Amino acid sequence: MSKLVFVIILSLLIASCSPQRFVKPLAKKEHAANLALGGPLIKYGESTIPIPFLTANYGYGIDSSLTAYAGLNITSALYGNFQLELGAVKQWIKQQKYLPAVSSGIQFNIIYRDKISRKLYPQLDLNLVWEYGKGKNYFYLGVSNWFELSKIRTLGQPQSNHWIFMPLLGHNFRGKKWDLSMECKVIAPNLSNEKIVVEYQTPLKNCGAFGVYLGYTRRF
Amino acid sequence: MRKLISIFLSLTIFCFSSCLKLDENLFNQEKLTEYKLENYSGETDFKLDYTYSIPENKISLFTLNSQASGESSATKIYAVYIGDINRISSDTIIMYCHGNKDHMDFYWQRAKLLANTGSKNRFGVMMIDYRGYGMSEGKPTEEGLYADVDAALIWLKSKGLSNDRLIIYGFSLGSAPATKLTAEPRSLTPSKLMLEAPFANAETMIQDGSGLAMPSGFFTSLKINNAEKIKSVQQPFFWIHGEDDDFLNIATHGQRVYDNYHGTYGEAHKIQGAGHSTIPSTQGFNNYLNSVHSFITH
Repeated sequence: MSKLVFVIILSLLIASCSPQRFVKPLAKKEHAANLALGGPLIKYGESTIPIPFLTANYGYGIDSSLTAYAGLNITSALYGNFQLELGAVKQWIKQQKYLPAVSSGIQFNIIYRDKISRKLYPQLDLNLVWEYGKGKNYFYLGVSNWFELSKIRTLGQPQSNHWIFMPLLGHNFRGKKWDLSMECKVIAPNLSNEKIVVEYQTPLKNCGAFGVYLGYTRRF
Repeated sequence: MRKLISIFLSLTIFCFSSCLKLDENLFNQEKLTEYKLENYSGETDFKLDYTYSIPENKISLFTLNSQASGESSATKIYAVYIGDINRISSDTIIMYCHGNKDHMDFYWQRAKLLANTGSKNRFGVMMIDYRGYGMSEGKPTEEGLYADVDAALIWLKSKGLSNDRLIIYGFSLGSAPATKLTAEPRSLTPSKLMLEAPFANAETMIQDGSGLAMPSGFFTSLKINNAEKIKSVQQPFFWIHGEDDDFLNIATHGQRVYDNYHGTYGEAHKIQGAGHSTIPSTQGFNNYLNSVHSFITH
């Protein structure tokens, strides 16, 4: 496989590099620092591997149902791009027995390299959260949506795709002051992955990509 | 809280100060210790049978000195000429610019196939390994690609080649130096341009891969833009592309290049069932050669 593929992979990772920041708000005035690692699975030679992308972020519980956060994409920064994520998550409905809690999030993904190379991608998320057990571990099911605002792509061609849709499933182990999360995400199942440089590995075969992520959060 | 902010800022500064470069990843740099050409047993896109073989006395392997603008010294690159060097002053020559995947051993079968255009050794074929490829010294750069192909043209010119007998052929990555040196000639002005599975620009690759209108500047500083450069090409132009190309999509890459050509004569060959590397084998070697010959003699 051409090394060129590596460069192209990074372009998709910008949009899919991390798990959901917070699906469940922090307690009021609680702080949290998080590191997340993961990315889409690709075929590399004879193997299927996830591309590791590292992000760091910090969250603050404004009140018990609203958390604001900011994150830095470290891998992107290593390649000279300032990629900042600013967002908030709001819990709208509390869990009632088997009925999950419902939260939604808004995030602005700002990527800046220079005056020409800069982008803003808004993101909207919706999550269903099932807490269980005494340790307050929880499962979550959600959907993350990236929006492409540009009408024109390279060479003056129309940009036909304006929505990257990412259904996801995750689990969070909760300790006293820490969280460990695992998440699987199907990235852009609405888009064909055929006739492009990268060979993404996905259960949907000819569509999208499949990502796996790990996150560690320290609350204080 | 302050501690956290200071860690975050330190991390940011550390990351940006390291600033890794992706450009080197754009070029494959498979090194060789010797060229085997016909005896090369490694992977190739296809293997030709004995009917396409070239007499040994028509194969010349040698080195050239290539110096890009701004470089203080020349870089030694390897070249192979298929044909009679003494007849360069009267023959029509195909300057073959190979792709990114490998070196001249890998692309030998393709160059040999072109040397059978019309009939065996009807046209001379010149091929080089760009700097950093095969046994050529140095590291690949965009300017190096152009300088290296131009070094081959300087050598051909020194052997008596004139503009009207030079055809330049670029496959995949090779479409960059082929288009550039036709649009903005240096030592020689090619009389015709032939592109097989060309790419439009780096941004198209990135946007095809991500589905987003992302600037290529996030990932590479390469300025290669065949879709723009082709606008300056007036010479006759031959474009051939596999309809099933899963590496450089025919619609987003090749078609964009072809649509932007506004020169004197253009030919488009869309090969049904062919992928990125399989045009000659899918089309059939003789059909492929007939297409090439027909264009050259048009």
